[in-house]
Amino acid sequence: MTSVQMPQLGETIVEGTILKWLKQEGEAIARDEPLFEISTDKVDTEVPSPVAGTVAKILVAEGETVPVGTELAQITDEGASEEASSSSDDAAGPEAPASSEAAAAQGSGPDTPAAEPASPAAAAAEVAPAAPAAGASDSGDAASTTSGGGLPDRGPRSKILSPVVRKLAEEHGVDLGAVTGTGTGGRITRKDVEAAVASGVTATPAATASPAAPTREPAPSAVAGAGEEIVAMSHIRKAIATHMVASNQTSARAWTLVEANVEHLVRLRERVKDAFADHHGVKLTYLPFFVRACVDALQAYPMVNAKLQGDDIVLHRYVNMGIAVSYDQGLIVPVIKGADGMNSVGVARAIADLATRARARELRPDEVQGATFTITNPGPYGSLASVPIINQPNTGILSIDGIQKRPVVVDDDAIAVRHMVYVSMSWDHRVVDGEIATRFLARVKQNLETWDFAEDLGL
Amino acid sequence: MATKVHRDTGSTDLSLPDDQLKEILYLLKLARYFDERMEALYRQGRLPGAIYSGRGQEGTHVGVTFALDEGDSLFPTHRDLTAQLTKGLDLKRVMAQFWGRIDGYTRGRDGNSHIGDWQGNKTFTVMSHLPIAYPVAIGAAWAYQRRDDGHVAMAICGDGSTSNGRWHEALNWSAIFRLPVVWVVNNNQFAYSTPNTREFAVPTIAERADAYGMPGVRVDGADVLEVHRAAKEAVDRAREGGGPTLIESVSLRWRGHAGHDPAKYVPKEMLDNYVADKDPVKNFQQLLLDRKVVDDGDIEELNGRIEREFDEGYEYALASPFPEPGDAFKGNWVEDGYWTSEPGRDGGTEAG
Amino acid sequence: MATAKVETGAAGHGAEPRGKRSDDGQATYLVAIAEALWEEMERDERVYMLGEDIGAYGGAFKVTEGFIEHFGDQRVIDTPIAEETIVGMAVGSAMEGFRPVAEFQYADFMSSGFDEITTVLSRYHYRSGVPLPVVLRGPSGGGVRGSSFHSINPEPWFAHAGGIKVVCPAFPSDAKGLLKSAIRDDNPVMYLEHKWIYRRIKEQVSEDPDFLVPIGKAAVRREGSDVSIITYGAMVHKALEAATSLEAKGISVEIVDLRTVYPMDEETVLSSVAKTSRALVLSESYRVLGIGAEVAAVIAEKAFEHLDAPVERLSPPNLPVPFSPTLEDAFLPGVDDIEAAVERLSTW
Repeated sequence: MTSVQMPQLGETIVEGTILKWLKQEGEAIARDEPLFEISTDKVDTEVPSPVAGTVAKILVAEGETVPVGTELAQITDEGASEEASSSSDDAAGPEAPASSEAAAAQGSGPDTPAAEPASPAAAAAEVAPAAPAAGASDSGDAASTTSGGGLPDRGPRSKILSPVVRKLAEEHGVDLGAVTGTGTGGRITRKDVEAAVASGVTATPAATASPAAPTREPAPSAVAGAGEEIVAMSHIRKAIATHMVASNQTSARAWTLVEANVEHLVRLRERVKDAFADHHGVKLTYLPFFVRACVDALQAYPMVNAKLQGDDIVLHRYVNMGIAVSYDQGLIVPVIKGADGMNSVGVARAIADLATRARARELRPDEVQGATFTITNPGPYGSLASVPIINQPNTGILSIDGIQKRPVVVDDDAIAVRHMVYVSMSWDHRVVDGEIATRFLARVKQNLETWDFAEDLGL
Repeated sequence: MATKVHRDTGSTDLSLPDDQLKEILYLLKLARYFDERMEALYRQGRLPGAIYSGRGQEGTHVGVTFALDEGDSLFPTHRDLTAQLTKGLDLKRVMAQFWGRIDGYTRGRDGNSHIGDWQGNKTFTVMSHLPIAYPVAIGAAWAYQRRDDGHVAMAICGDGSTSNGRWHEALNWSAIFRLPVVWVVNNNQFAYSTPNTREFAVPTIAERADAYGMPGVRVDGADVLEVHRAAKEAVDRAREGGGPTLIESVSLRWRGHAGHDPAKYVPKEMLDNYVADKDPVKNFQQLLLDRKVVDDGDIEELNGRIEREFDEGYEYALASPFPEPGDAFKGNWVEDGYWTSEPGRDGGTEAG
Repeated sequence: MATAKVETGAAGHGAEPRGKRSDDGQATYLVAIAEALWEEMERDERVYMLGEDIGAYGGAFKVTEGFIEHFGDQRVIDTPIAEETIVGMAVGSAMEGFRPVAEFQYADFMSSGFDEITTVLSRYHYRSGVPLPVVLRGPSGGGVRGSSFHSINPEPWFAHAGGIKVVCPAFPSDAKGLLKSAIRDDNPVMYLEHKWIYRRIKEQVSEDPDFLVPIGKAAVRREGSDVSIITYGAMVHKALEAATSLEAKGISVEIVDLRTVYPMDEETVLSSVAKTSRALVLSESYRVLGIGAEVAAVIAEKAFEHLDAPVERLSPPNLPVPFSPTLEDAFLPGVDDIEAAVERLSTW
């Protein structure tokens, strides 16, 4: 059985129309005898039969337009031997030279061996061919990227720092020595740096985030002993580790603790939290109150809202409040820029937004940079008091621990039960002394205890 | 279309009004003087670049171009500066071009006789690949035919150019479409060092016209009026829709291909004969003197005028500033506006 | 402007181009080109066409079918086989105020007019200030078993001349808008239509007679974040195909279609590379000194600090385009080659 297909009569032709069948089903036909007439964009012509035999089936009617290569008819061969794969795409007999192009007409034919360019392509980034000229004669190759022979060997791929990697590292203060590379040969890629930035690995200020988490966690290198499980440190864990050690080695850290009576805050919050959530669409925690109290104190004691730069102390006239957020990978510190210009509602919104996006890893680099002071709030997890590590290059970090009911001495030496909270600050003794640090905290306490926050909540 | 070879015996019918005859004389003498003075400057090292002398061929150049009207166009080669001057180019600006100044026709983009002034005098800026202007002349001629505006295109090339494919393409095309074009071949018998016998196997260039389907005529380039008559006939034919003509005007190239070339390949006796008997400038001046169209006083006055014009042109050229260096990067795309605005004049007048 | 319902005939013979759109109004690349020519011929009396077999025969690829019947033989001129003079005629007539569109039966034959193109057409305005609003157009490119005299990509030769804009559209809409822009441009423009695309790609194309696509502006055909493929012509379609498979493997490819090869839209190219940091320059013109070489150089020079991997080129070798299917498929960059190159770049 011979299959007759729509030929390609012209390089750019993709379809043809059957004008007329010159033989009907059941009729005999000789080889090279005209079988049908077709019309294409370029030409109308008769097409002869590739074989002698009988027209067994006509598959496409007169007037129909079909793509090149479509089977049009079948001819039962006269004589014994069936033509082997005469309908296949490889070079047909001389009677129908066009059909070999039929498959090709669809583009690079699926049957044509397109694989062979793979060999130079597969050479990949490995050692280049001997002479540079060889690259030119490789068909369709995508160029070995390393040079032809004769250039000095630059060492292992892992050592290569690409331009964008160096640039990003410098911009965000990333210590590349602490970054694990996921590129070929262990090379640090752009994505690796972006991930490091997101996790807060900066020799100086706050972490910068990126949307992408590192693509691959490093495998542990230690071997577990009996009763042990080895977990390799993630990029972010390593970044945090580096940052924490560096901070303690940089600042002369001291710590001061005060206690504040926040009974009225607790009552206020109880009273208004539902209405607040309904009205503003975000949850009301205690953090906005603490931020507001703290901002005022920072403006009263600007040395606490400062950073050390060489031998200079840089005082900021604005407050960018870093809020430490815990998430599955570890710790990140998004920053409320211009917290000094917000009321409690604004702060509440900012915190809700930043925290949500921090956990979803959607923070932008500029949103984890530039804090002038930081607040951490381990209270909800149950701590009484904590000694936090300063978020460089800040001068202080405030810790707000658990709000608990305690028996306290109130007016007239009576004992009452009130909601109390320990508020403490780790501070850098290079920049401020105990008196300032303590006065600062006293101010925070005073604000918390005496301000009417209801008005500030816009309810 | 038989080839006509004009043989004049000297009893020439002048058939042009006196003022035109005097104009022709002026142009011939100007061309010759210009050529001599420029050669001297070149040899003294005071003329940068190259010179391509047309000496001895002034009869051809003035003769054919003088037959054109103002709206007709000319497609010359580097050898045909005289033709461009005849067409109307300003001597001052021509000289500014030789010295590479901003006031030259190409604003310093080209030098010496690689010159043209399409916007003013409808001459195509010369290009060195010969005869690369011939196909372009086809386009202009077609435009005239299409608009039926009566204009004519004239292209000049040398004997060497007739070996090039473009020459044949253009003649063939012009005859197929019966275009209003005149094909002039300045056969000065040497293409650089290559003589006619190495450029074509037929005796004359003019007789090839037959093969293309157009009239061909061969004239004596030493006789400017003979040249002019043939050119006028061809131009009129084109203008009236009669199609193209091939004119072969025969002379000798008196100097080398360019200033550096001593042209030792030209047989001395041949050159001597031509200088003695076939000097188109001397011959025409004598003719006009003989016919009393001019007298010695007129000649002296003409000499003075020409010398003055040359000196003024030279002065103008040296006073014109060089193009500013930044100009090198402008004027490629129409949109940068370089050519539709006045150029900067801070290039100074001292060469680097 | 309403679509004129023009009778088409069995396969569009002798019909106005717009009558050759499919029933859903889509136009193939070839029809889009024909429409552009038709509209510009109607719009401006000074526009005319010349070339071999474009009149009575309707053009070797039937692009100009129906034109001579409508516009007459003064504006649709069948020329002798004399490419130098085709170009010369275009130049001379442009100097006299016309706006010629010269067709080369195959872009391969442009080299027969090389001198007039590179010496006259490219340089004349610079030397004289006379504008030459000339368009040279012709089918270029391979992948159709046309072998080496019917498959050339000549854009590097002529872009190199410096005074000719060179345009290589990949899509029907761009083909139409760019040809119209080319005809309206007062500078010489070489418009290279890729023959592989002629009847293979169709899309909705504007019928607004003033629909233009600017010369010198690239287009981002597909947005992505991992690797940029900068390419043009038929290779855009190969790149798009590769991008789909690569997506399934988690590699996000951005494709920049240059559209104009000279002058190149550096801004769009560089923005893409800054975004992905990895660039594959895919060009059907030859590898050595082809268009890809220039694009790669610009990226290396101007986007150095954004690169996370070397800039790679994927192009055929500097050899004649072969005929036999196995040879031509090896010669041309295929979808597999593109995928392999992108994968290599993305893991560098």
